[in-house]
Amino acid sequence: MKALRKILVVACVIALALFGAAACGKKSEGGGGGGGEGGGEINIALTSFPDYVDPQLSYTVEGWEVLWNVYTPLLTYKHVKGKDGTQVVPALAEDMPEISPDGKVYKLKLRPNMKYSDGTPIKASDFTYAVQRLFKADSGGSVFYDVIVGASDYAEGKAQTISGIKTDDNTGDITITLTEPNATFENVLGLMFAAPVPPSTPLDKDSTNKPPPASGPFMISKVDAPRTLTMERNPNFKTVKDAGATEVVDANVDKIIVNENKNNSAQVTDVEQNKVDFMLDPPVADRLAEVKAKYPDRFRMEDSINTYYFFMNMEKPPFNDLKVRQAINYAIDPEALNRIFGGRLHPSQQILPPGMPGYEEYKLYPGPDMNKAKQLIAEANPADKDITVWTDDEPDRKRIGEYYHDLLTQLGFNATLKVIAGDVYWTTIGNQSTPDVDTGFADWFQDFPHPDDFFRPLLHGESILPTNGNNLSRVNIPANNAKTDELLTKLIGDGGVEEQYAALDKAYMEQAVWAPYGNEEFTTFLSERMDFDKSYHHLLFNQDYTSFAIK
Amino acid sequence: MVSPIDSLEAPGEPPLPTGVPKAQIQGRSPWYLAWLRLRRNKVALACAVLFVLIVLFCLAAPLWAEHVAHTGPNENHLTDTLLIDGQEVDVVSPDGTPIGPGLHGKFFLGADQNGRDVMVRLMYGGRTSIYVGLAAALVTTILAVAVALLAGYYRGWIDSVLSRTMDVIWAFPVLLLGIALGTTLSIGGLKLGPIAIAGDSLWIPILIIGLVYVPYFARPIRGEILALREKEFIEAAVAQGKGPLRIMFSELAPNILSTVVVFFTLNIANNMLLESALSFLGAGVRPPNASWGSMISDGYQVIFTAPHLTVVPGLMIVLTVLSLNVFGDGLRDAMDPRAKIRLEH
Amino acid sequence: MGRFVARRLLGMTGVLFAISVIVFLIFNVIPNSDPAARIAGKNADPALIARVTADLGLDKPLPVQYLTMMKQIFTGELTSYAKDRNVVEQIWEGLPATFSLCIGAAVLWMALAILFGYLSAVHAGKFTDRALTILSLVGISMPVFWLAAMLLYYLTFKVELFPTGSYVPFTESPGEWAYHLILPWFTLAVLFVGIYSRVLRSNMLDVMNEDYVRTARAKGLSERQVRMRHVLRNSMIPVITLFGLDFGQVIGGGAILTETVYNLDGVGLYAGEAIRSLDLPPLMAVVMFGAFFIVLFNTIVDILYAVLDPRIRLGEAAPA
Repeated sequence: MKALRKILVVACVIALALFGAAACGKKSEGGGGGGGEGGGEINIALTSFPDYVDPQLSYTVEGWEVLWNVYTPLLTYKHVKGKDGTQVVPALAEDMPEISPDGKVYKLKLRPNMKYSDGTPIKASDFTYAVQRLFKADSGGSVFYDVIVGASDYAEGKAQTISGIKTDDNTGDITITLTEPNATFENVLGLMFAAPVPPSTPLDKDSTNKPPPASGPFMISKVDAPRTLTMERNPNFKTVKDAGATEVVDANVDKIIVNENKNNSAQVTDVEQNKVDFMLDPPVADRLAEVKAKYPDRFRMEDSINTYYFFMNMEKPPFNDLKVRQAINYAIDPEALNRIFGGRLHPSQQILPPGMPGYEEYKLYPGPDMNKAKQLIAEANPADKDITVWTDDEPDRKRIGEYYHDLLTQLGFNATLKVIAGDVYWTTIGNQSTPDVDTGFADWFQDFPHPDDFFRPLLHGESILPTNGNNLSRVNIPANNAKTDELLTKLIGDGGVEEQYAALDKAYMEQAVWAPYGNEEFTTFLSERMDFDKSYHHLLFNQDYTSFAIK
Repeated sequence: MVSPIDSLEAPGEPPLPTGVPKAQIQGRSPWYLAWLRLRRNKVALACAVLFVLIVLFCLAAPLWAEHVAHTGPNENHLTDTLLIDGQEVDVVSPDGTPIGPGLHGKFFLGADQNGRDVMVRLMYGGRTSIYVGLAAALVTTILAVAVALLAGYYRGWIDSVLSRTMDVIWAFPVLLLGIALGTTLSIGGLKLGPIAIAGDSLWIPILIIGLVYVPYFARPIRGEILALREKEFIEAAVAQGKGPLRIMFSELAPNILSTVVVFFTLNIANNMLLESALSFLGAGVRPPNASWGSMISDGYQVIFTAPHLTVVPGLMIVLTVLSLNVFGDGLRDAMDPRAKIRLEH
Repeated sequence: MGRFVARRLLGMTGVLFAISVIVFLIFNVIPNSDPAARIAGKNADPALIARVTADLGLDKPLPVQYLTMMKQIFTGELTSYAKDRNVVEQIWEGLPATFSLCIGAAVLWMALAILFGYLSAVHAGKFTDRALTILSLVGISMPVFWLAAMLLYYLTFKVELFPTGSYVPFTESPGEWAYHLILPWFTLAVLFVGIYSRVLRSNMLDVMNEDYVRTARAKGLSERQVRMRHVLRNSMIPVITLFGLDFGQVIGGGAILTETVYNLDGVGLYAGEAIRSLDLPPLMAVVMFGAFFIVLFNTIVDILYAVLDPRIRLGEAAPA
C-alpha cells in the first residue's frame, strides 16, 4: 500500500510538471521576444481573406493592407498617419520622378544592388514586366495605366511590349511616356499595381498560390487561400535599406500569421481574450459599445478616406429636378444613419471626405429638416412619384436602404426597395440597361489620395458608361467637367489647387448631385501585449504592419 | 362472439371510433366518422384553436398599428425617444442598440435596429409568413395532385416523363435550389410569356417553395392512384364510357381527398419553415417587408445585445408550426389511423 | 439483378445530367449580372471588360460554355469567376467539416431516435409516450437556424459552456474537434430525431399487432426478446430507407444553415457564398456534389429494397 501511494504521488508530481511545462511552453511560443529590438510572432484575424495575394491583382482593403509591406513600388506613401501619409515619396526609385515641362515624360532611376527575398536581383525591366502583367492578367488596376503610350496596343495583343516604357537594366533608368499630362500619375506609381516583380512570375495568371518574391520588409512564406497566410521577415530587405530607401520602413515583429474568420463577433472575443492580436475589421455593431467601454486603452476609432451617399439619377424624373434633390439633402439625418452604423459614421454632407487634399468643411443643407424638404417637394410638384430605391444585402447596407425607403415614403413618394446581393450590386446599378435605377446606396473608397480619384470616376460627364459606370447620378455639368480636367494638369503642391478642388466640391453640392451623409470610420483594436501607441492606421493602406510591435 | 360494433366495420376501412353508440355510427359517411374521432382528440383540437388565434392575431395588425403603437411596420424611428417612467429613453441608442421589450403601448416588444416597432412588424410579418405558407401549399397540392392523377391514370410514357421530372426536382438539394432561384429571380423578376412577376413580389418565394415540395406529395399520391386504378369501380366507370378527365375528377380524386387534406395541413407547416430558412439566407421575402424568417435574420446580427429580436419571431414560428403539425397529426389519425402514407421530409 | 442495377445507375446519370443543365440555365437565362463586369473591377473600361469576357470564354455559345464547364469539373480544373480559385480544391477542403457535421449528427439522431421511438412504442399511450411525442413534435417545428441561434446565445454567450463555432480539424486536436461540434451536431439532429422516433414508433406499433409477433409470444419468448428480435428489427426497414434519403439531402446541402450559423468551413457554407455572389462555377460544382449524394443514396436504397423484395426488381411496382 505504501509503495502504491508513493508511486501515485510521484506520478502526480510528474503529471503536474509536464502540464506546467506544456502550459509554459505554449505561452512562450505565442509570446515571443518583446525586448527592445522587437521581434516575436503575432496573429491577425480578418473576415474576408485578401482577394488576391498578388500585387498586380489585389484591389481590396484586406489585400492592400497585407501586401503594402511585402511589395515595394518605385514610389510609395509616407509611413505616417494622418494627412502626411498621403504624400508620395521615393521607394525603390532613388528620387521623385523628373517630369518633362509638357508633363508627359517621367524619368526615374532604380536604386542599385537590390535583391528580392529569394535572392533574385531587382531590375528596371521588372517594372515593365509588372505593368505588362496588369494588362495580361486583366487586373482591375490596369485602367490607371492606360495613359501610358502603347498600353492599349499591348493589351489588345497588337504589340509585344509597351512602347511608352523604356528601361535600362545596367543603369537602372526608367522612362515612362504618357499620352497626355496626368497629375495623378505619381500617386498611381505608388500603388502596388506597379510594384516590380521578377519575370518568373506568371504573366497572365493570378499568382496567389505561389506569390512572387518580396521587395518589402515582409515576405509571404506560406499561403493557404482563403484561410490563412504567413508573413515573415524578408532576409534580403537589407539590400533595399542599404540602397538608401529610407522611406520604406522596417518591421518590428518577425512573423505575422493572418487568419480568416467569418464570425466578426468571435474575432472580437478573441482579441478581448488576447488570443488574437489584431482584427482588421471594425467590431460588429452590437459589440462595439462593449469594446469602447471596456478596452479604451487598446481600442480607438480611425479616420478613413471614403464617402457614403445616396446617388440620384439626374437623367430621369423626379430627380432631374434640383428642388427634389435638395429636398432629399434636407431630409436625410446623418445622425440616424450613424446609429445604423453603430456609431462609426462621421456625419458629412460633402463629396470629399476629411483627410483628402481639397477638403474644406461647409454646410449647405442644415438639417434634418423634414418641413423644408416637404416644402421644396411641394414647390417642385413632380409628376412622377414612383421611385425605386436600390441597396445591397450586407446587413448595414440593407438597413440603410430600409431607412432611405421609409424616408422617401414619408416625403410622399411611392417608393419600392430592391435589395441585391452584395457581389452583384455594383454591376447591376452601374449597368445602363438595368431599368428603374432611380436612387440608392453608394459608397466610394479612395484608390489614392488625390481628389481627381473622386471627381473623375464619380462625377465627370465622360464617366457615364454603359456598364460598370461609377457615375451613378449620371452627372454631366460641362463647367465642372472642364474644371476637373483643368485641375488634373496641375500638381496638388502648386498654389491654390486644393482650394479650387474645395470650390468644385461645393459647386457640385449646390446642384445636389448626391445626398452624402458621412464617412465611415474604422478601428484599431489590439491585444494587450501589442504596443498600442506605436501602431497606426494609414489613410490609404489601413493598418501599417511595420508599426506592429510587442510591448 | 363477434361484437355488434365489429360487424359494422367494412373490410379494408379504418376502425370505427370507439366509445360511440352504435346508433350514431350506422349509416354515416366516413367523413362524419373521422369527425367523431377528431372530436375526441382534445390536443389536436386545442392546436387548431391555437392556429386560428395566431392567424387572428396577425390579421389584427392594422388595428394594433393604428390604435396602440401609432406606427407602421416599416417606419424608422432611429432618433426618436420614448417616455418611460417620466424619463426620455432613446429608441435606438447612439451606438445602435435598440430598446428591449417593456409594458408600453408603443414598442411593446421593443424596437429593431432601424427603430421599427417589433410588435407591429411581428404581426405584419406573420401575415406574410402565413400567407406564403398557405399559398405555397395550394400551389404544391394542385401541382402534385395533377401530376399524380395524370401519371397514375395514364401510366406509360406520361408516367415516365412525369416521374423522371419529379426525380430530378427531388434530387436537387432543396435549400440550394430555393436559394438559387430566390436570388436570381429577385433581381429581374420572372417573365413567362404574358405573365410577368416583379422580383420583389411575394409570388416568387411562393412559387419556389410550392415547386420544391411537389415530388414529396406527388410520389405517395401517385402510389395511391396506381392502387386505386385497379379497383372495380374504375373498370365500371370506363365501361360506362366516362372520359379520362371525368374519371380522374369524379372517381379518383375524391378517394385521395383525405390524404390530400392531411398533406395540405402538414405542408403549410413545412412551407413556413422553408420560407423562414430562405428569408434568413436572404433569398425569400424581400425587404423592407417583414416575415418571421427575415426578422430572425436581422435580429441575428445583434443577438448578443438584443436577443429579443431573434427569440420572439422564432417562438412565433415554433408555435404556429407546432400547432399545424399536431393538428395535422390528429387529422391523419382521425381520417385513417392505420395510414401508411407518410409525409417524408 | 445486374440489369436492375444497371438501369438504376443509368437513371442516376440521367438525373445528374438534367440537374446540371437546370443549374446552368438558371444562371444564364434568368437575367442577373455579367460576371466579366464584376471581375473587371470598379473602374473598368469597356476594353478591360471585353478582355475579361474573352478570357473567361463567356462570349462563346451557351452549349460550348456548358460542355467546357462540365469537362473542367471532372478534370478538376474548374476555377471560380470571382476569385480565380480552383473550385474542386475548395470543395475538397470543405469536406472534412461537412462530413464531420453530417455523420456525427446522423449517428446522434439515429441513436436518439431509436431510443425514443422504442420507448414511445413500448409505453404507448402512457406518460413517457406523450412526453416524448411532444418533444418530437416541438423538435420538428423549430427552424434549424433559430435553434442554432438560441443555443449560441444561451450556451456560448450567457453561459460560456461551448465555443462559438468554427471548425477544428480532427488531425489538429480530436478533443477540440468534438468540443466545437457538439452544438452543431445537436442542432442538426433535433429535427430528425423528431421525425424518426415517430416513424419508428408507429411502425413498431403496427408490427406489434402482426401475426408473427403473436406467434413469437405464444412460443414463449419473453416480451423483451420479442420486442428486440422481431419488432424492432422489422420496424427498422422503413426507417433505414428514410435515413438513406435524408442523409443524402443533408450532405447535399441541407447542412448549409447549420454551417452558416456556426461558421463551419464546409461545403454548405461555400455553396451559400457562391450563390450569394452568383458565381456559377462553384455553385455548379456544389450542386452536382450534393445531387450526386442524394441520388447515390436514393439508388442504394432502391437496390436494397430490390434485394429484400424480389417483386420490385422483377416488375416496376412502386411502393411508397
